[in-house]
Amino acid sequence: MYWNKSYECMPREKLQELQLERLKRMVARIYHDVPFYRNKFQENGIMPEDVRSLSDLQKLPFTTKVDLRDNYPYGLFTVPLEQIVRIHASSGTTGKPTVVGYTRNDIATWSELMARSLVAAGARPHSVIQNAYGYGLFTGGLGVHYGAERLGASIIPISGGNTAKQIMIMRDFGSTVMTCTPSYAIYLAEVLNDMDIDPESLKLQIGIFGAEPWSENIRKDIERKLKIKAYDIYGLSEIMGPGVAIECECQNGLHIWEDHFIPEIIDPVTLKVLPHGSQGELVITTITKEGIPILRYRTRDITRIIDEPCSCGRTHLRISRLQGRTDDMLIIRGVNVFPTQIESVLLEIGEVEPHYQIVVRRDGSLDTIEIKVELSETMFSDKISNLEKLERRIKDRINSVTGINAKISLVEPKSLPRSEGKSQRVIDLRKI
Amino acid sequence: MIRQVSIFMENHEGRLNNLLKILAENNINIRSLNIAETMDYGIVRLILQETDRGIEVLKKHDIMSTLTPVLAAEISDQAGGLSILVDALTKEKINIIYAYSFLPKKTDNAIIIMRVEDEVLKKAVATLEAVPGINLLNRETLLLI
Repeated sequence: MYWNKSYECMPREKLQELQLERLKRMVARIYHDVPFYRNKFQENGIMPEDVRSLSDLQKLPFTTKVDLRDNYPYGLFTVPLEQIVRIHASSGTTGKPTVVGYTRNDIATWSELMARSLVAAGARPHSVIQNAYGYGLFTGGLGVHYGAERLGASIIPISGGNTAKQIMIMRDFGSTVMTCTPSYAIYLAEVLNDMDIDPESLKLQIGIFGAEPWSENIRKDIERKLKIKAYDIYGLSEIMGPGVAIECECQNGLHIWEDHFIPEIIDPVTLKVLPHGSQGELVITTITKEGIPILRYRTRDITRIIDEPCSCGRTHLRISRLQGRTDDMLIIRGVNVFPTQIESVLLEIGEVEPHYQIVVRRDGSLDTIEIKVELSETMFSDKISNLEKLERRIKDRINSVTGINAKISLVEPKSLPRSEGKSQRVIDLRKI
Repeated sequence: MIRQVSIFMENHEGRLNNLLKILAENNINIRSLNIAETMDYGIVRLILQETDRGIEVLKKHDIMSTLTPVLAAEISDQAGGLSILVDALTKEKINIIYAYSFLPKKTDNAIIIMRVEDEVLKKAVATLEAVPGINLLNRETLLLI
């Protein structure tokens, strides 16, 4: 089932015509309405008329989070505030948050794309959606909410946290779809287990998880523990919010809604555009947004574009599961390491619950990495030699996947901090 | 066969204290204790007066434990007492993974707790039962002694 078949399954040629037409209009608007973009274009000697084909996009300047911050709060808006009906902001871990504004049309587009996404992941008008994304400045909660209402599903706006209540509502209200971060889904599964609640006794069928990178192994783990199908959703407030891209029933890459966004993959160091299939940083241009259109936004998310046709029938390009963020990327003795690589090793070893923490230190001039892994019941042995073997197995696998030598520390179950939102997997204690 | 409770524990101050306090508050008597340690963690092995209740209490406090079958043998408390036991197992090529002693209250004999590989457990029992002067204890007898 599709939400909007004529757009979701539009022949690629037609889709690209539509993209070009919308891109031209967008470029003209930001040039005329936003001094920041006009200056950038002039610095690079480019005029809006120079955009004649989609490949001309490569000539245009990038936008970064720093640009958004420099123009805090409203500098990049293209319409007066009286046309803005909602303002969101993403958490600023360093300094000011980045602020985005939506016109009435923007909210309608977002709702439409979120409805498409929910349907692609299997939600239907009769679904009961328990939305445990945070409501507030964060786009997660309200983004899913509006999409679910557009779809006509029953949305439970429970927001994040309060796990006991989440479970009570899930049980009593008969939620069929859960939306939250994957780490919270794991936490929920753990609590259900502690409370001796059999997930089979719940009506839950589908989980739509996003806002942080997760691996295929974590998907399997969640699906097994919660007895559901788990789908990856992608979005970021600078572009729109959740619903920029979604996995369909094939669970093999996320369709990015190309009638509203143009994706590119670049090398984060040389900034050159990479061919489809290569891994690199995802760059997105919004082509219909009114409140704050963004040109070639550097998402800092690492992925690749999949351009083979998808058997679900949707023609929109897919991006692979996120491999991490350029800023999560750890450089350990010159080697690039993503926390997700370590996560997949731990899950592959199978006996280990996915609770871990990576601690990076600098010892003299050498970087050292320690991975704290919570021991799970199935792997606990009262023989020291077995535990030592387990440590060695984890160490060897991490070495063969990442090329780094890590110290593995087995720690007590439930001793690492639990997250109800995004989890802090990495603690970098290096002072450089 | 005796059921031993084994607990994984990080090797730093306060962890053992935490465990012992929980058992004390719940009035669970520890009859014997052995700690195996590495740099970073250790395994605490306990013979409890009330095994099932002990496990329940530990679980309630989020402390992970596992049950391991171990042997308890009463031997004479004089030079060579333990040697007879180890000698009998060695002849059958049975390896002792670890062993520690148990303090009896009502006998002058010594009691030794040991773990062998699960696959040879039955063989170890048969071997030791055949040795004069060694008395393999079951749980009831051990906890009364």
